[in-house]
Order: sequence, then C-alpha cells, then structure tokens
Amino acid sequence: MYGGAPAAGIGTSCGGGSGSGGRGRGGGRTWPSTTSVSSSGKRIQKEMTELSMEAPPDCAAGPKGDNLYHWVATIFGPPGTPYEGGIYFLDITFPSDYPFKPPKVVFKTRIYHCNVDPAGNVSLDILTDNWSPALTISKVLLALRSMFTNPQTYKPVVPGIAHLYLGDKAKHDEIASQWTLRFAR
Amino acid sequence: MVSDSIINASIPVASSNPKDFAKKKRANRSAKLKQCKLDARREQWLSQVKNKGSRQELNGGGGACGQGMQVTNERVQLMEKLAIKPRGEAEENGGYTNTYNDFDSPSNSPTSHTSSLLEGNDSGTNFTGGSSSSNSSSSGGCCSRSMSEEDNEGDDDCLDDWEAVADALAATDKKQEQLNSSLDSAPERDDNVVHMSSQQEASDPKVPAKDTSQQNPKGRGAVPGSPVGIHAWRPNDAFRPQSLPNLSKQYTFPMNSGRHYQGCSVWGCKSLSIPTSCPICCEDLDFTDTSFLPCPCGFRLCLFCHKRILEDDGRCPGCRKQYKHDPIEGETTKDAGCLIFRAARSCSMISRS
Repeated sequence: MYGGAPAAGIGTSCGGGSGSGGRGRGGGRTWPSTTSVSSSGKRIQKEMTELSMEAPPDCAAGPKGDNLYHWVATIFGPPGTPYEGGIYFLDITFPSDYPFKPPKVVFKTRIYHCNVDPAGNVSLDILTDNWSPALTISKVLLALRSMFTNPQTYKPVVPGIAHLYLGDKAKHDEIASQWTLRFAR
Repeated sequence: MVSDSIINASIPVASSNPKDFAKKKRANRSAKLKQCKLDARREQWLSQVKNKGSRQELNGGGGACGQGMQVTNERVQLMEKLAIKPRGEAEENGGYTNTYNDFDSPSNSPTSHTSSLLEGNDSGTNFTGGSSSSNSSSSGGCCSRSMSEEDNEGDDDCLDDWEAVADALAATDKKQEQLNSSLDSAPERDDNVVHMSSQQEASDPKVPAKDTSQQNPKGRGAVPGSPVGIHAWRPNDAFRPQSLPNLSKQYTFPMNSGRHYQGCSVWGCKSLSIPTSCPICCEDLDFTDTSFLPCPCGFRLCLFCHKRILEDDGRCPGCRKQYKHDPIEGETTKDAGCLIFRAARSCSMISRS
C-alpha cells in the first residue's frame, strides 16, 4: 500500500540539501505507509525545524520534496581528510515507525570508504544495532561526518579498503582523494 | 445615629456633615452591593475600615476640635508604631495597619500611614473639627476617604482597581514570573519599613518619594510620579490619599501573585529538570508522564513510547540498557504527596503494560 503523501506540503519550505543537485537521486521510491504519521511525523518535523535552526558543521539535511519521510542530506568532506573538497549527497528514508526504527541512509555520491559499500549503503552501528530512539538525524549526520575522519576499520563493509587503510594509509588516502575528485565535485 | 447628632450639636460649622454622612452611608450601601463581586479579602478590609471610621467619628465628634485632632494624631502615631511590629501582632490590634497587612506586605502599612499622616496635617490646617472625622476615616485608606469626600467616584475607582487585581491574579504565568522577580527583594523591603517609619516624623515628604523610587523599578507603573525627585507627590497633590492606597494595592499584587506562584513552584522546579515533551514522539508530557522514571539513567519518555519500546527490544533510549521490569519508584522530591502519587501512578503503569 502506498501511503501517498502523508505530510504533503509541510516540508517544501525547508531548504537543506533538496534541489541542490540531481546527482544520483533515486526516483520512484516507495514511501512509507501513513499508519503512524501522528507520532513519527511530529518527530520528523521537529527534527527538521531544529536542523534548519542549528545544523551540524558542514552538514545539511531536509525533505527532498513534499514527502516528510524522504530527505536528502549533504555532507562536505571534512578538511584534513582525503575527502576534503568533496560534497556527498545522501538519501535518508525514515521508516513509518521512525524513532523506534533507524532511518535508512544511503550515499548517493560514490566514495572510497571502508564503511560504504559500492551501492552506497552505510555500515554504521548506530544505524543498525545501536540505534536508539533518542538519536536524531543531526546526530546521525555528526556520526557520518566523524566516520569520514575515523573509518571503523574493525567492522568494514569493504574489507579491502579497510586493509589498505590499516596497511598503507598513504595509498588509501591517495585513492580516496582521487575518488573525491572524480565523483564528489 | 448618635455620632451624627453629636457632631451636629458640638460643631455648628460643620453643617455639611450630615450630608457627608448620608453620602457616606449611600456609598457604604453601594460598596456593600459591590462587595459580593469581590473576594473575601476585600470584604474583610472594608469592614475593618468601616469599624474604624465610625469609632473614630465618635471620638472626634465628642471632643473639642483641637482635642479631636490630637486624638487622631496620637492614634496615627500609635498605629504607626504598631506597623513596625510583625504582621500577626498588628492584625490583633486591628488598626489601619490591618488593612493591608492582610496581604503579607509589611511595607504597605507604612505607606498607608504616610498617607494618613500627611492627610492629617493637611486637613488639620484647612478644616475645623468636623473634618477630623473625615480625616480619621481617610486614614483608613482609599475607600473610606472617598466615601466621605468623593464618594462614588472614589469607590468606583477602588472597585476598578480591585477588579483589575482580580483579573491580573488570573493572568498568565508569564506575568506572574515577571512579577515574581520582585519577590526577591522582600527582606530588603523589611529593612525599608523600619527605616521609613523611623524617618516618618522627621521628614514626611521624603517617605513617599522613597517609596515610589522603591516601587517604580518593580514595573508596576501605578504612580506617574518621578522616581528620582523628592517631589514625587507634588504634581497631583490633591489626589495623594487616593493614589497612595492605590499604590499600596498595586504593591500587594506581586506579593499575592507570588504566593499564588509558590503553590505552582513545584511545577516550576520540575519543568527545569524534566522535559516538557517526550524526546521520542515530541508529544507533550502530562503529569503521569513527568512522574514516570523508567530507567535509572534518568531518561524520560512518555508512557506510549515506553510501551512501544517494551514491545520491541525493551532498551532504554538514553543508555541502551535493558529496561528493568519495575521502574524506579518516585525520585526524591520535597513534597511527599507528589511522591505518593508518582509511585502509585508508575505502579499502575506496570500492571497495564
């Protein structure tokens, strides 16, 4: 059952990363059902207003279009990392039972990182096992940003990259910066 | 009326006195009619003023003109001394001081005394013995004075003021908090009371000026007088007796609201430590929710979200630890009633979930 637009027109005003680039935007995604709009919708809306007031550094996020449950986020590659200068777009999809279930975060920009698989899926513990309803998108963005600087090599999604990072960091950084130049600018 | 006849017999000059008295009676009646609208405090206050006024009248009328003046002045001074005493004592004595002591503000009685004293001096020079009765009654405050001289208008003014106070009492919490800030200077005011009353005989005009300068910063712009100058009462000297009690009434307002606020202070404290809305679903927390502490880590959430989490993995969102079966019963608060209520509520929650 497609939920239609559960909160049509609510998120249109929020800028965030919406409309700032069409890079890899996935269309035709099924939206979450509207069964618990009252609880998750209010929560997501509150997070939206909080993000628009005070976003984490080098991060931005907001609803993609009319759908409150489908956001797009941008993270600027932190300085001092091989990802510096890159702009990374992410799709954030909120489940209908959002605060109790983690949001799905997918990189839409290709990145050479041991915690991001080629499809863009992120292996971040707080987005899977260690999710807590008390976490917010703002905190998730912060965690993603810290993931740029400190890859979680003990639990990689791409073991080859992790090995290279641990064995030859210079080589890893070189490849990563190349990818940044190629895909993230 | 006995006092009426006495005044008529002894003082031929005061031919307007019966009229005055009739006015007073009329005003009394109208005031009584209006009393039903007002609260119990005003009732008490009025009756005290009335009693005092009539007693004073007997006094002033019986004696000679000068003697009457002396008696009243003595009385004023006596009351003035009483005013310094603590509230309960002053109330026992039941003087003019009583009028405002009701409202817990110690500096009010000196203010009304100032008015009475000043008024006494004024009318003492201007009028003869007949006015001593009105003078003495005016010492009671705004109401009785307005009855004798500006009967209905003054009374209405008084009534309006009281209605305003009643309205303001029911006003928003914001206002109360604002006013509550003035409560902090209570001990300081106590100091001033003693100081003022000791200064009263020596320099009369200074006292009200001081008073205004003390009160104006509190944000109750009741008196248009300048807070700096000693001539605070100069511009509207004629209205001084009216404005003075008005001022005191306004002055009592913060105290009243403060007392009202103290009742809610429990909630005020709570709102500091307890979030107003559930951090999970962002719905407002009601009383049951705020008294619900499911995890020793102190993370609070509403009962709905707690139930939802228990159905899921049952881990606290704050510390990711498994919820214990029984939530922490009632954190330590000062009021025991709240504690019991809290524990009872959380228990009932357990049985449900």
